[in-house]
Amino acid sequence: MDIKYGISATFNSAKDIYIAAGKVRDKGYNNWECYTPIPIHGLDGQMGYPRSKVPCFTLAGGITGFFTGMLIVWYMNSFDYPLIVGGKPYFSPIFPFPVFYELTILFAAFGTLFGMFFLNRLPRHNHPIFEHKGFGRTGDDRFMIVIEVEDPQFDEQETESFLKDLGGKSVNIIREPID
Amino acid sequence: MSALVKEDTESGFDLQTKLLGGTLLGLGVGLIGLLYGLASGDKSPFLGWLWASSFWLSIAIGLLMLIMIFRIFNSRWTPIVRRQQEHGLAAFPWLGLCLLPLLLVGWVGGDQSGILWTWINPEAQTIEALSVTTVSEDVLHQKKAGYLNLGFFTLRLIAYFGIFCGLSYWLRKVSFNQDKDGDPMWSHMGMKISAAGIPAAALALTFGAFDLFMSLEYQWFSTMYGVWYFASGIRSALAVTIIACFYLSSKKRVLDGIYKQAHQYDLACLSLAFTVFWAYISFSQYFLIYSANIPEETFWYVIREINPNTGEQSGWFWVSMGLIFGHFFFPFLYLLFYQNKVNGPRLVFIVSWILVFHLLDLYWNIIPGREISPGAYVGYEARPVLGTHLIWGLFSFVGIGCLCSWSVVKSFTSQSAEIIPIRDPRILDSLHHHE
Repeated sequence: MDIKYGISATFNSAKDIYIAAGKVRDKGYNNWECYTPIPIHGLDGQMGYPRSKVPCFTLAGGITGFFTGMLIVWYMNSFDYPLIVGGKPYFSPIFPFPVFYELTILFAAFGTLFGMFFLNRLPRHNHPIFEHKGFGRTGDDRFMIVIEVEDPQFDEQETESFLKDLGGKSVNIIREPID
Repeated sequence: MSALVKEDTESGFDLQTKLLGGTLLGLGVGLIGLLYGLASGDKSPFLGWLWASSFWLSIAIGLLMLIMIFRIFNSRWTPIVRRQQEHGLAAFPWLGLCLLPLLLVGWVGGDQSGILWTWINPEAQTIEALSVTTVSEDVLHQKKAGYLNLGFFTLRLIAYFGIFCGLSYWLRKVSFNQDKDGDPMWSHMGMKISAAGIPAAALALTFGAFDLFMSLEYQWFSTMYGVWYFASGIRSALAVTIIACFYLSSKKRVLDGIYKQAHQYDLACLSLAFTVFWAYISFSQYFLIYSANIPEETFWYVIREINPNTGEQSGWFWVSMGLIFGHFFFPFLYLLFYQNKVNGPRLVFIVSWILVFHLLDLYWNIIPGREISPGAYVGYEARPVLGTHLIWGLFSFVGIGCLCSWSVVKSFTSQSAEIIPIRDPRILDSLHHHE
């Protein structure tokens, strides 16, 4: 038993897939992906992706870290157990600044890493595309576009012929086995 | 280059002539101020002059360091930007000339030789703890006299400017010569000059900052001071580079279509990095002195925060706050956003802002000081924020700025170099640079 995952089409060069990706974007597809053996500069822009949202997580993490540091110092040195150290005030933004600063960096890094995981829906252990025989060559010398069944515009015949018109070689339907 | 030349001649009144006019006016008034200061014992024209020099010098030093850093990393995206910066190095000999009057006063000033740098005159009055004494009797000077004496000071200044001018001369030469024969040997040579030049220039700028600015209050010391001047210099040099490249790449000018968003973005990222670095250094200096809490160090910050006689906040407190929020937090938060880095006018706004606050930062570092005042509670008054030093300083600022700009414009229009280093081995990488 299996279900359809999408239709794949391969291209022979970075230039071909770059042009084809622009046409797929213009056609209005949303659930589709490019698989390439090398990073292609500008391909994400060509696919119509907006800028990554990861920086928002970084900023949120940084701000959280800064105030967490402040809270720790205020709670421990000024509220829970007031203690004079080195003639300095119980709480001041100056002497414990390294704490605020380090936690800002730490939480910003956490925000970046986990924000990236979250936005990429990682970790995931498997992907239907792995079932496709031709997928291995996208790590070598093939460039592949896959339009997924989930896309609202997906229509088996139409999408298949669209990919063929784009110059896609070996247009295949990818199936995902389920038990 | 043609577009630049054309525009200048079209404006009817040659840009270089205008700049020379500004130089004459600014430096003329500044020099009159120095003479008046010598005659009356008023320190403010000297402080103003030093403040003005420090601004233009920091930009030149920043440009020099950036060029050498780009060279030593053999960086691919920088050649077209580097060429514009190389023209900026033409200002160094003139900056040396601008510091000459201050040095000469040390030699021929007689009773007034210590008017700017008190320690030059052993008979000058100074403050040790809370009592008035003379420099020669101040133990804090006695211990430093082997270093802080006029002969060695002069030698050091000559050495610093020898290093700056020599490196500038050679870095310009290897780059401009490559335009003619395209020999990659020049690139290798540039790299070797930079390898030797970075430590040499780093030492020169560090000790230069100690000698010229920190020694104004010679009792005070901070090993961070040189790094602070370096960080400020790089920030202002990046700001000037961004403004110049933005101007030169506007419609129909020489860098139109050559200097692209990716170059600007990388320069902006460096600006952000050095904004953080400046804050890190400035804060660390404060933090260490605050934590150690030793009177011979803390007085330097005390006179930048309160009136030492009354304990009330002085005008300097607001300048300090202005630096924290205006020179760090605002540019930092602003530059975090991608759009503010890739949009030309938005970036030019913030780097101009940084330049203004850099000028304020130098003002905050150089101007405040202790003026002996026998009737005062602690024996001295802290110099106020507003005073004649600001007026004299602004004239010197315009004068020295016009002189430096004149030398840079002259270098730009002299046809001694191409607009971009067209035969640099990295030029294609630089032209095709993308994010």
